[in-house]
Amino acid sequence: MTIICPPGYPGGQITKKERRKLKSKTLGVWAYVLPALLVLGLILIIPLIYTFWMSLQHMPIGKPPTFVGMRNFSRIFRDPIFYKSLKNTFIYAFPAVAIKAIIGLGVAVLLNQEFRGRGILRGLAILPYALQPFVVSVLFWFVYDYRGIGNILLRVVGLKPIHWLGVQYAMPSLILVNVWHGWPFFYLGFLAGLQSIPGELYESAEIDGASSWQRFFSITLPLLKDVFLIVCGLSLMWTMGDFVIPKMMTGGGPADATLTIPMATYKIAFLLGLNYPLASAYAVTILPIFAVLIYFTVRHLE
Amino acid sequence: MRRKKSAKFLIAFFVVILLFWILVPIYWIVKTAFSPEEEAWNIGLPRHPTLTNFRDIFVGSQGSMAEVTGAMLSISPTITTPLVNTLLVAGGAVVLTMVVSSIAAYNLARFQYRGKRIVSSYILFAYVFPPFILMVPITVIMNRLGLYDSLSGLILAHLAYTIPFAIYMLRGYFMGIPQELEEAAMVDGCSRFQSFLRITLPLAVPGLVTVAIFSFVMSWGDAVFSIVLLNTQDKYTLPIHIGFFLWGGEIVDPGRLAATALVAGLIPAFLYIGIQRFVRMGLVAGAVKG
Repeated sequence: MTIICPPGYPGGQITKKERRKLKSKTLGVWAYVLPALLVLGLILIIPLIYTFWMSLQHMPIGKPPTFVGMRNFSRIFRDPIFYKSLKNTFIYAFPAVAIKAIIGLGVAVLLNQEFRGRGILRGLAILPYALQPFVVSVLFWFVYDYRGIGNILLRVVGLKPIHWLGVQYAMPSLILVNVWHGWPFFYLGFLAGLQSIPGELYESAEIDGASSWQRFFSITLPLLKDVFLIVCGLSLMWTMGDFVIPKMMTGGGPADATLTIPMATYKIAFLLGLNYPLASAYAVTILPIFAVLIYFTVRHLE
Repeated sequence: MRRKKSAKFLIAFFVVILLFWILVPIYWIVKTAFSPEEEAWNIGLPRHPTLTNFRDIFVGSQGSMAEVTGAMLSISPTITTPLVNTLLVAGGAVVLTMVVSSIAAYNLARFQYRGKRIVSSYILFAYVFPPFILMVPITVIMNRLGLYDSLSGLILAHLAYTIPFAIYMLRGYFMGIPQELEEAAMVDGCSRFQSFLRITLPLAVPGLVTVAIFSFVMSWGDAVFSIVLLNTQDKYTLPIHIGFFLWGGEIVDPGRLAATALVAGLIPAFLYIGIQRFVRMGLVAGAVKG
């Protein structure tokens, strides 16, 4: 039988005394993380378990909750509003993430070139991301006002002014807000990725006669793959879970045109009849999608 | 190799587009904040620039458009209360976050033990978790704890964002500090914890400041938990306060709204840009879940 010795205990077996000492050392180690684990348990794990529990209950106001099994879920699956909000969540998140990735990549490549004023631009580029989502929403209240800059720009290019947050345009307008706020996250990721690519690769490719497009597609993009996956995973998750921008811009309206799952959860729980169990069931139903994304992203982050 | 003229032109072209894209919405709000009411919707800079809007949001005034329409009657007419509340919450969250996270991060950076992988996965999981799923259960739990509609309850909820983020970032910082220094201190008779307090923490000050500022900004920018957890006017934070400027989908008082948004947005933006040289990809990842 082999005994694996911890570092600091070279060779031989561990005596009883030493083992006890080692044990108390391990306990001491746990003391460092315990406060963090407890706080996160209270505000993350217990609420998460509680959500599962609530999704199986019926909770009329002022009466004790009763167990109803899957009734909330069967109600959800018959509810057209649920399918609409699920669809809206995807319509919101996928284009937003794709556009953010494209802008982020473009700006990262641009600001990786050498030219005068690059330092200032690198600072400015973070600005949209440094502004809080609720402040960004206010910026776009002004952009989307009928008298605002949005319609002024439309007139300049010869188009008619529109109601940006009307039924027809509300979703694209919301996506634009999310894109404007979120693209610097991609830019920062891609810029860090670009800077870690050794310059010799490009030099040798150039000597071998590769054009700049060839160099971009066969050196830059493949080497950015890891960064790309992490950044897209995180952003997809957070965009799908985005509550602030829909809440501040449209509140899910008009006519549920921008009702995403987070917005629907909020409305059901806090605006229409305080139906906590149904709202929890919404959250639980979408949780598998997040679980896959979280698993995938955490694995890459580690 | 000298760059070709066409490449130079291309760079200039994209720089102009980039500037336009970033600055147009920001220009508009800055300009509106300094405009008198009758010039609020003009495209150019105000012909009679004024600080009235800023005076109004701090001191209050009579007869502004918002009060006439009744929009502002339902909330505190000045920014003072929500601003102080937001500062208190963010400050409280930062203090708690730094105390709890620095020791936990030190643990992950230095110790090897069984179960460590689980702990670090757990923290990463918390780090990427979308907060909207916690909206409902946290409200119920805060109710049970008697912390619903209180600033301390909000602080506690904000730790769900800030602690995992801070642990993750500080771990990297601590790993960059050579372990030999602590070992030397321990040879001289320090306990492990003392050597952490006296050697590692002081060396990590730049990292601690950066992480503290990011945590501050995360708490400052939260609208998810403040919207569900706060219910009375004297507890409101900035995101709730600002929401009352939209009345039936219309902006009621553009000047004061713009001034309020500037105050709310500039403080974190300055903090961010001030620490930009510390900012690496990892530091920004997840600073704002959006």
